[in-house]
Amino acid sequence: MPAAPPDLLESVIGVAPDSALSRLRALRPDIVRHTQGSHDVLLSPADPGGLSLPERALIAARVAEQSHHAALASHYRALLAERGDPPPDKRLETILQHVERVTMAPRTAHPAHIEALRAVGLTARDIVALTQIVAFVSYQVRAAVGLALLTEGQAA
Amino acid sequence: MKATRFTLEAVDWEPWLAPVTVESATPAQRAALEASPQANSAYFRTLANDVDSLSERSPLFHAVMYVPRGLKRAERELATVVTSIINGCIYCSSVHARRFVELTKQPEIIRALYETGLDTPLEPRLRAIVDYAARLTREPATMTAADLAPLRAVGMDDLEIHDLTNAVAMFANANRLMQTLGEPIPPDDSTPSAA
Repeated sequence: MPAAPPDLLESVIGVAPDSALSRLRALRPDIVRHTQGSHDVLLSPADPGGLSLPERALIAARVAEQSHHAALASHYRALLAERGDPPPDKRLETILQHVERVTMAPRTAHPAHIEALRAVGLTARDIVALTQIVAFVSYQVRAAVGLALLTEGQAA
Repeated sequence: MKATRFTLEAVDWEPWLAPVTVESATPAQRAALEASPQANSAYFRTLANDVDSLSERSPLFHAVMYVPRGLKRAERELATVVTSIINGCIYCSSVHARRFVELTKQPEIIRALYETGLDTPLEPRLRAIVDYAARLTREPATMTAADLAPLRAVGMDDLEIHDLTNAVAMFANANRLMQTLGEPIPPDDSTPSAA
């Protein structure tokens, strides 16, 4: 077995190993494990299907930026820099429009938006993966903010 | 026709993508569905199109909502209803409002939130939960440690605040999946609602 991966949420917040917050999180081991696990399968899947690794990193970066979370945005921008930018074409434009809609105004979604994604080549699996990435980063931003507030409380 | 009103009745959900069917499911999809709250629902079968993410999300969801100790289950449910109301997720709100009522026998709290709004008068502990859930849903980036003061004032400890945070965060996730991969369908008008 490889060594356990570093915990992204704790590194983003700047939590020291064995700090009070780290011990608190350890009371919920399944949350820690599957938060990191969700990140790993969405951002770095063994088989990315029709949604490329650069596209996945860019989608996550956009969600973090639109949610105004600087530390997560820089994590995903760094991942994108390693992978290189996806080609700026109609496909990418359609994907990023949908990313902004799901991030900022999910109630405005419409079946026509799914058809637009299909028209630029995304399969059902790719569309679910895209949506899961946006939904996951939206979760991750709020989990990171709440945990960071708890560490501030402890420092005070 | 799409459901457009928040309700305490059961709401159905119709996908905009073909869900995986029981017959077509791979062994991995079948396993991921069996670990989900309702293996046969169209929603989880839609998510099963990307099996690896469903395989991580279902145990995450379960841990956030149902792990014992810490924040009471009813209070987690209430927080998810607040998030769902703000995001406009009629389906999520219906499911979790009904869970809250099953646990508390207090439908009047949900009706007040639906009809009067999130600023309806509530006892102090519920008020603190509703306000924190609303802030974390709407504008997480502007929050400070001062946002925890009302939770501390009603006696919440760090584990309860941790659990509350995760419940709200999980529904930032659930509402986005539910509202952008399909739509809520009202209960059939011709059928009397089940008791």
